Amino acid sequence: MLNKNLEWFFPRTIEEAVKLIAEQGIILHGGGTRILKTSPKSIKGLVDVGKLNLNFIHRSDNKISIGAASTYDDVIRYSAKTKKLPLLAQALSEAASTPLRNRITIGGSVKDFPIWSSLYAPLLALRAQVEIAGEPDKIISLEEYLESGIIKTKHLIKRIIVEDDSHLIGGVKRFALIRFEYPLFTVAVALHTKHKIISESRIFITGVKGRYNHCKRAEHFLVEKELTDDVIHEAGKHFNPKFVADYKYSAEYKEHTANVFFTDLLQDLKGKLK
Amino acid sequence: MKVEFKINNTSKYLELLPNETLLQALRNNDFTEVKCGCNEGECGACTVLLDGKPVNSCQVFAMSAHEKEITTVKGIGTLYTPHLLQKTFVETGADQCGFCSPGMVLAAYSLLKENPQPSREEILAALDGNLCRCTGYVKIVDAVENTAKKLHTNNLVME
Repeated sequence: MLNKNLEWFFPRTIEEAVKLIAEQGIILHGGGTRILKTSPKSIKGLVDVGKLNLNFIHRSDNKISIGAASTYDDVIRYSAKTKKLPLLAQALSEAASTPLRNRITIGGSVKDFPIWSSLYAPLLALRAQVEIAGEPDKIISLEEYLESGIIKTKHLIKRIIVEDDSHLIGGVKRFALIRFEYPLFTVAVALHTKHKIISESRIFITGVKGRYNHCKRAEHFLVEKELTDDVIHEAGKHFNPKFVADYKYSAEYKEHTANVFFTDLLQDLKGKLK
Repeated sequence: MKVEFKINNTSKYLELLPNETLLQALRNNDFTEVKCGCNEGECGACTVLLDGKPVNSCQVFAMSAHEKEITTVKGIGTLYTPHLLQKTFVETGADQCGFCSPGMVLAAYSLLKENPQPSREEILAALDGNLCRCTGYVKIVDAVENTAKKLHTNNLVME
């Protein structure tokens, strides 16, 4: 239960918001869904990002910028309208439900990175970058954001930047027993091909030990190959995400299931390459 | 504390605590047409429209909604002057116990405002955040389809 004396702030500038969250017990509020789920008593104040003009999606110089306050629904709509970001839109369309997608923000999901995140695997496959407010603002890759530990610090994300790459072919699969359930894992694959031969592959999975795996062995295996049934079968052998057991599933079960999902995804992509 | 909200096109002051959800604030101030189901954002019984989009009011802090347009099911039609969609829900037998109906109606209303002729798949997708334990959903989806047909046949605009 959150503190009933919770203080609300509605800053109009990013500088003001950054100053406010420097104080202990004061955190950012985007859609609020995660805060309500966890309800930490230690929170003294919430800084609403609604007036910071961070709800935008625009394209320039072959990059698409997604403002941190944009919701999942905003991204899905943008994709439907422009035919851009299909990989991200696919993943977000399958996440949560319509009313929640109208609230969950991209910035909040990147900052919190819950184990069930449907957002991270496609963002990593799209080589997303994160812009963090500061003096000066800093743009770093999403992988660096995770690896350097910045994710654990208090900061304000201004936008997520992804490549506007219409040649990229990709797909996402998430494992959930019913549609409306947190996925056990999400695997994303993005490929560049030339005359059906893969020139670059990017493979990421979330929900694993250490939050995410960058599946470099499978990536290397796929390069300079055509997606045939044999290649897909072999690629599965190079796809080795590491899971931990939980109260429902053994690590082996998850590994096997992830492998099936990965090869299924490659089969889907094979169809798209025709 | 008292905070001003715009609910169903009318300015209202709600008495609330800063840690309250929109659902709590609405129900504590007599907007009991907004139902409390799971309180976890899974059942959709507490759906309201926030600037025209359906949200789970149990997953929204009231304070974060005070400058937005809030629409409850009574904002689109009342018992004596029901909206076409509400009438069609009744005619089609899409309400049984009625607990999910306010949320279902608002989710369907938002869909039809944007897409007056949705496919059955689009209806199912739009209602994916609303659970019903009575009807099995068939009649609910039928009601939305029937409303779309009435809009089309009578050349009406969803209002």
